[in-house]
Amino acid sequence: MIKDWTFAKILATGPGTSIRDLGRLGYAQYGVPLSGPADLQAFQWNNHLLQNNENDAQLEVSQPGFKIQFLAPTLISISGALSKAKLNNKLIHNTGLQKINFEDILEIGNIESGSIIYIGVKHGFQSEQILKSRSQLKGITKTFQIAKGDEVPYFTNQEIPLLNRLSQVKWNSRYLSEEVVRVFPGPEWNLLTPPIQEFLLGQPFHISTMKNSMAVQLEELIPNEIPGIASAPVFPGTIQLTSGGKMLCLLQDAQVTGGYPRILQVMEDDLRILAQKKPGQKLRFLLVKN
Amino acid sequence: MNPEIKHIGPKLTEISWPIWMVGDLLLKRIQVEKAIQKEFSNSILETRAGYQTICIHWKEKPENEVLSKFLNQVQKISESPEFNVWEIPVCYDLSLGKDLKAVSETKSMHIQEIIDLHSESSYQLNFYGFLPGFMYLSGLNPLLTHPRKSVPDRSIEAGSVAIGGNQTGIYPLNSPGGWHVIGKTPTPFFDPFCDPPVWAKPGDQIRFTPITMAEYDRMSAHPIFPKAK
Repeated sequence: MIKDWTFAKILATGPGTSIRDLGRLGYAQYGVPLSGPADLQAFQWNNHLLQNNENDAQLEVSQPGFKIQFLAPTLISISGALSKAKLNNKLIHNTGLQKINFEDILEIGNIESGSIIYIGVKHGFQSEQILKSRSQLKGITKTFQIAKGDEVPYFTNQEIPLLNRLSQVKWNSRYLSEEVVRVFPGPEWNLLTPPIQEFLLGQPFHISTMKNSMAVQLEELIPNEIPGIASAPVFPGTIQLTSGGKMLCLLQDAQVTGGYPRILQVMEDDLRILAQKKPGQKLRFLLVKN
Repeated sequence: MNPEIKHIGPKLTEISWPIWMVGDLLLKRIQVEKAIQKEFSNSILETRAGYQTICIHWKEKPENEVLSKFLNQVQKISESPEFNVWEIPVCYDLSLGKDLKAVSETKSMHIQEIIDLHSESSYQLNFYGFLPGFMYLSGLNPLLTHPRKSVPDRSIEAGSVAIGGNQTGIYPLNSPGGWHVIGKTPTPFFDPFCDPPVWAKPGDQIRFTPITMAEYDRMSAHPIFPKAK
């Protein structure tokens, strides 16, 4: 089988586009963030459809106006948020497998539901691997995001690959409009007074504009009387309560330790609901007992 | 002193002690962490540590009783790992220790006194966190305790040696930060092209040796990981 190097040229991109794989599991002991995908299920779905390895790298796109040109034939798969996707200027299905021919141009226009899109390619993108992962992060990889003009390597067979069974499974995007996020009590949950616990679980919260790949801050403040804690482990999905009463939900590039009380932990399956929310959108927490 | 076990959903379990596990107690935390990693190696994704805690990230969590039974019995095991001592060169020149003068003024201490106190202690590496390669060190002389800046600096250069609250630390990467920079080391604290990307491990001792500006310049031209003493 031919397996030649080729490139995908980035013709346009907003900030925050980056290469992602499952991240740097095992390196937290050296202070290295996990840097997996923000929406793990969307990432897994692409690699599943493409019959890739589960760790094969994809593009994580979080702004409209993304344009990429594939120089040689391959198969790609799109999942996550729903957008106006075009191939060579023609509207296409915004999720699922897509055949790519020489010099095809894929464009991600308006993002209509959700905020993060995954673009997977057959055999995965072949960018530099640092500490066993291609996920881009400041201080680890040479560049921390994808920029216009970048050429991202991938493999081609010089023809569109045939899969044994072309999966027709539809991407279930219902979670993009889900408002309930299931959470477990965090290690410091019991330090909150019962009225504050009740308030927190009864109230809707809005996503603020303070959102990046490390954390998302919620708009509403919580009266906080818990002091800081001795630096302790945190994970993607840990919700911290800052001294000013702000709630910070940590995401995939979060530090591995923190000094704010960890009041809640988002259930792994529901972290994507939070990660896909845009500033201004709301959510509620549903406490699940341990 | 038995630790408390808190289960946080099906994927995380935190083991926490009521006091900071530093000094002689750090050995206990490290022993427990190593024993857990060994015993449950097939069901663990990774463990993370803090001053009072170990948190286990499970691939597949065993029965709660299995873990608590194991923890009870591991308290008696005392297999002792070997720890290293590292001498780290630090230049306390005012051009590198950008906040040293201000710290000496607010604390009414001589600059040389601050340098002496900072470089005569031995610091214990408790765990890594905050940034890749950032060491949480205990052992700062209480005379050097200094509140963090109310407004953090936008960028502190990699290699900066700083104090904040009752802690001292080295910025392994350029980063915003609220600590007071009192010197700079030519020794790299994090190298993503090395695996592991750091040279010391929890339990090791770190000492700072004052060097001149000329020595700093010479050593920073060829930054290398240090060798243990």
